[in-house]
Amino acid sequence: MENAAPIEGAAPTDGTDLADGTDLAAAAAAPSGPVWRFLVAPRWLGWHLLMVVSFWGMLWLGDWQLHRALSGNALSWAYTFEWPLFAGFAVVFWAKTIRDEFRLKRGETLGASSEDAESLPFGVGMVRARAAQSATPADDEDPELSAYNAYLTRLNAEVKNHGRWHGLR
Amino acid sequence: MAGGTDCDKRSFDDQEMKVVETAVLRYRVMAYITGVVLVFLCFVGIPLQIAGHPAIANNVGVVHGILYIIYLVFAWILSRKLQLANKPTVIMLLAGTVPIMTFIVERWITRRFISPALAGQAKAAEPVSRSAR
Repeated sequence: MENAAPIEGAAPTDGTDLADGTDLAAAAAAPSGPVWRFLVAPRWLGWHLLMVVSFWGMLWLGDWQLHRALSGNALSWAYTFEWPLFAGFAVVFWAKTIRDEFRLKRGETLGASSEDAESLPFGVGMVRARAAQSATPADDEDPELSAYNAYLTRLNAEVKNHGRWHGLR
Repeated sequence: MAGGTDCDKRSFDDQEMKVVETAVLRYRVMAYITGVVLVFLCFVGIPLQIAGHPAIANNVGVVHGILYIIYLVFAWILSRKLQLANKPTVIMLLAGTVPIMTFIVERWITRRFISPALAGQAKAAEPVSRSAR
């Protein structure tokens, strides 16, 4: 990840000035803290609780439908399989959300390996691919210009990710 | 050299744009179908069920269940493509279970997230390519 080095070095102080108050920007301002910290923030604890409650709630509803189906309600068979499926969706969606959040935060503070960029949500991968492109000395003759380009790319990514794309947080 | 990279970037963006547009289209189609079926279930099926004819409510209920599973998958994929936060994602996923709500949420998601994302994507490449020229 040598390509990303100029990005980090280009504007280490300006990045914090531009932070717009989200927890993601706070993580970028304090790169010494472990990335997983966001998982125990009050808001995320609320989400964890919601997910646990809804997971067991949906399994309970599936169990209830199973008992109804066994006591002769043929229609309940469909819902007997549907509720556990929804519970499974909840687990998969939740796991992927947390994985994406880790990648977003790591992308801001650490950068990632190139094979990681393939499977990222496209916004992040695109920004990183472009950053790597413009930071390569072979593409631009002037290293100062390429560093500036990388800096612009990073600003762009921040504006795009926090201002408009992330929405309510 | 700069011209070459510009071309690469543009085609890359176009490709990603198509991915988002496909996800948006799938979500919209499923939001509409699921919404219509749910409205039919609640405002035709349920009154008939109360009046003593449960067949429509039973069958349409199962159909809505299956459609909602597909809706969930497409709405989730769109949420990942747009990198939505948890709250709008959960609202979008649950909208398929509340009558009329799919239509309201679809319009809200379009105005608040889809349009800015598609507009912002075109602009995203500008500062870099402009200074590289």
